Amino acid sequence: MPGSAGIIHIFFTAGDNNSVMTIKVLAFAGSPRRHGNSETLLDWVLASMAEDPDVAIEKVPLTEANINICRGCNACEKLNKCIQRDGMDIYHDKIVEADIILLSSPIFCMGIAALPKALIDRMQVFRSRKYVLNLPIVPPERKGKRLGVFLATAGQDWPHVFDAAVPSVKCFYHVIDIKDADISYLMINHVDEKGAIVNHPTAKADATVLGKNLLAELKRRLAAEV
Amino acid sequence: MMTVTVLGISGSPHRHGNTEILLDRFLEGAQAAGASVEKVVLKDLEYTPCQGCNACHKDGNCIVKDAAPPLFDRMMAADCVAVASPIYSMGITAQLKGFIDRGQYLWARRFVTKTLTFSPEHLARHKGIFISTAGQNWDHVFDGAYPSLTALFHDAGFEYYDNIVANNMDTWKGIKNHPTALDEAFRKGQQVVSVLETLKKD
Repeated sequence: MPGSAGIIHIFFTAGDNNSVMTIKVLAFAGSPRRHGNSETLLDWVLASMAEDPDVAIEKVPLTEANINICRGCNACEKLNKCIQRDGMDIYHDKIVEADIILLSSPIFCMGIAALPKALIDRMQVFRSRKYVLNLPIVPPERKGKRLGVFLATAGQDWPHVFDAAVPSVKCFYHVIDIKDADISYLMINHVDEKGAIVNHPTAKADATVLGKNLLAELKRRLAAEV
Repeated sequence: MMTVTVLGISGSPHRHGNTEILLDRFLEGAQAAGASVEKVVLKDLEYTPCQGCNACHKDGNCIVKDAAPPLFDRMMAADCVAVASPIYSMGITAQLKGFIDRGQYLWARRFVTKTLTFSPEHLARHKGIFISTAGQNWDHVFDGAYPSLTALFHDAGFEYYDNIVANNMDTWKGIKNHPTALDEAFRKGQQVVSVLETLKKD
């Protein structure tokens, strides 16, 4: 049930009306390989966030998300809705409701993997809503109060190995009203075999700090609204 | 014996759209220059994305048996391959990326098992061309696509010979209204076949 954790939390803490807020975190694990390096990196960020009682986390492995590829039919430019009925019916709403949206992917062939690219391409419905139909993605009071995170790992040791993935990641976030300045990146190269990231000197510590910083920043923005 | 073979691979989920029309025009140019031309539409093939299992790092073979490895075989048997994809979200389509990622076993043969090498002569005689259209008018709209095409062409033994790209489809209202792209594609189809014919004679 989307949002049920948030409702329960607010009910039990209703007396404390200034600090009550459940932060909804939605995390897409984009690798076709379960529990590999990019997903481990994601798990570290989520574990760091999960220490905060105000956070409700949902992690979605794209291998199990049943998201078809975009057909390029452009029907969403008229319908404000995708004509395909699949996992995106669920994740569309969750994407709108979430406060922090994370996406992880390995780099394959110098680009983002095909599974997360399929998710990104299906965001076309949001692009149509925003730029063709000129309709809001989130209510005005939630604009600027959402954060995006891209986590990536690559076997290659080239520093530019992530460059071609980033523009598509920006599209993913732009169309759901998360602007460039609100996207964080943690990208670790030179980790290939499963589990290699565990031996990386800084990845886990960086992921942990990132999780804490994201929550602090989001709480600051939410508190600033009233 | 000397016929140049050209394989077009269409990576658009949208049949007969701007990108496929541009690819068709390239293939018509190649055919007009005497090449034997074939086209494959990825949409019609059944293949899964790469599973990232790295099994190919052991013996250079993909453990997933579907339409992807036979298409790599066909591609590598051609003198010229023209790979086409529209730009979706600043990159190639998931469909084409799904196919390119499956070429990991070729990379493994080159760099892990070291059972696959291409001589400079081989690379010169095998030309890879990327064909694309984008709705956006930005000049850099194709930049995110090139590195993955580079990976594909290099792992399959092709020189990355040229791009035939046309942006701003949203303003042109389709490739058929573009002032130069279709003629350029036809001309480049003719030219690459003529270049390859000369190389094959040497």
